[in-house]
Amino acid sequence: MARKSVSSYINIDSPIDRLHPMTKIVAVLSFGIIGFAAPMALAPYVVLLGLIVISYLAKLSNKFIHYVIPFGIPLLVMLLIIHGLFSAKNVTTLYDFGFAKLGLEGTLYAVKQVGSVLVFLGAFFLLTATTHPGKLVTAFVDSGMNPKLGYLLLATFQIFPQMQMRLSTIREAQVARGLEVEGNLLKRASAFLPLIGPLVMSSLMSVQERGMTLETRGFGSSNTKITSYIEVQDTAGQKTARKWLVIATIVVVIGSIVYRFI
Amino acid sequence: MDTKKIVIDVKDFSFSYLMSDGEMQKKAVENINFQVCKGEFFCIIGANESGKSTLCNALVGLIPHFFQGDMDGEITVLGEDTRKSTVADLTSKIGLVFQDPFNQLTYTTTSVAEELAFGLGNIGVPREEMYRRVNDVAKTMRIDHLLQKNPLELSGGQVQRVALGSVFVMNPQIIVLDECTAQLDPLGSKEIFDVVKVLNERGITVVMADNDMERVAEYSDHVLVLHNNKQVTWGETREVFTNLDFSSLNLNPPVYVSISKKYINQGLWKKEVAIKEKEIINISREILER
Repeated sequence: MARKSVSSYINIDSPIDRLHPMTKIVAVLSFGIIGFAAPMALAPYVVLLGLIVISYLAKLSNKFIHYVIPFGIPLLVMLLIIHGLFSAKNVTTLYDFGFAKLGLEGTLYAVKQVGSVLVFLGAFFLLTATTHPGKLVTAFVDSGMNPKLGYLLLATFQIFPQMQMRLSTIREAQVARGLEVEGNLLKRASAFLPLIGPLVMSSLMSVQERGMTLETRGFGSSNTKITSYIEVQDTAGQKTARKWLVIATIVVVIGSIVYRFI
Repeated sequence: MDTKKIVIDVKDFSFSYLMSDGEMQKKAVENINFQVCKGEFFCIIGANESGKSTLCNALVGLIPHFFQGDMDGEITVLGEDTRKSTVADLTSKIGLVFQDPFNQLTYTTTSVAEELAFGLGNIGVPREEMYRRVNDVAKTMRIDHLLQKNPLELSGGQVQRVALGSVFVMNPQIIVLDECTAQLDPLGSKEIFDVVKVLNERGITVVMADNDMERVAEYSDHVLVLHNNKQVTWGETREVFTNLDFSSLNLNPPVYVSISKKYINQGLWKKEVAIKEKEIINISREILER
C-alpha cells in the first residue's frame, strides 16, 4: 500500500532549493519582521513582490500565488470591515455607506496587517516548499540542536501519513463489516467514532516496536557524535547574506521605532 | 559444532515481563539453553506465544534493557554479557528485524537511502563511508533501484528488505529475524529467505524465528523448538525434523517430512526422512523407477 508524506517539500531543482536552510530561515524571519515593523502600509506588499520574484526563481510562482491569494482576499475583506468601518482610530472618511463610514486610518491598518500576515505566510510556504525536511533538521543539528530533538521534529513531519494509512486500513476493515461511511454529514460523523478507538490503540501498540527499532539502530548511543547522510552545503556568500539580512532587519526595526517617536 | 567458535551462548535463560500494574507475568520463556556457532543458520520454531519473540528480544539486549521484568540465567553474545552491555553497544554486533515491516521505519526519512543510513548516523559513521555502505547494502538487498524512493511508498516485501538492509548496514556479525516473513506474501517471504541466505553465505550468523517449516528445513543448519514457553529440543535440523512429534506442539511438519514418513510406513522407502524439496523429488523418482 502506497503512503505519501505530508511534508510540503516540492522536489524541484532551483537556486532557492539549493540555498542553505539557515539562509532561508533567516530570510523568512527577516522578511516577516521587516514587513511587520516598517511603518508604511504598503511596505509588506513591497516584500510580497520580492517573494513573488523568489517564488519565480524557485519555479513555484503559480503555487505561491494560488496559496497566498485565496488566504489573503477573505482576510482583507474581514479586516477591512472590522477596522475600516469600526476602528476607533478612524478620523478621515473615505466613503460613507450610510450605516457606517469607511475610515482611512482603519483601512490602512487593515491593509498593513493583511500584508504582514501574507508575507509571513508566503515566506513560510517558500521555506517549506523548497527545503527538504532532512536538510532542515541537519542544518539545525549542525547549528547545535540536540539530534534527539531533530528526530522529534522530523517525526512530526511524517506522523500524519502514517496515521492516515492506519485510519484508511481500519476504515476499510470496518466498511467490510457493514459500517456506512457515505451519506450526509451526521452519518459520516457517526461513522468516524468506531474508527477512533482502533486508531488510537493500534498507534499505541506500534510505539513499542518503533522504540525497539530506534534502540537497535543505535539511537540511544551517547558516546559518538551523530553524523548525517544528508549533506547541507553552506557558502561564504550565504553566510554574508545572512549577516546582511540580520543587519537590515535590525535597521528597519530601529528605524520604525525612531519614526514612531518623531 | 564443538570445533566452531560459539557466538551466542544461552544458559538457563528465563524471563517474566513486568506488567503495567506492577505484577510479574508468568514466565514468557523458561530455562532455555542453546548455543549458536559462527556462520550458522539457526532457526527457532514454536507455536504462537511459545516465547520466540522474547528470546529474539533477549539476544539483542532489548531484554533486560528495554523490557522490564525478571531475568534469570545468562546470555552471552560474542563474548559480551547482554546484561552488562547496552543495546546501543550491541547494535554493531547483533541486529534485529521484526515482524511488521512498517513498524521498522524510522518515519523521519524521505528516501530509502536515508532510511538505510539512519543507524550509521547514530553511531557516527562518516558520510563518505555511509554512501559506500548504503550502496553496497542496497545491491545485496536488491533495493538499489529504490534508493531515492520514499519508504512510505513501498510494498510490504520491499519495506522488509529495507528493514533488513538497515540492520545489515551496521555490519553486524549476527542478524536476528523475528517472524519477519509472517506478514509477507509467499513471493515476498521467499525473497527475504533468499537474501538472508546470501548474508549467511557471506559469513553472517543468522538466527531466525519462523514457522514456515519447508523453508526452515531448506535453509537452517540447527533448530530450536519451543512449546509452552519451554525448550523442547535443540539440534541439527535433519535430526530434529526427523524425530519431532509436530502434532503435539501444534505445528505442521514440512510437507516433505510427512510424505517421506508415509513412504516409510508403507514400506516404499527405508532410508532417511526427506526434509527438503529436492530430497523428496529424488525419493519419489526412485520409488517410481523401481
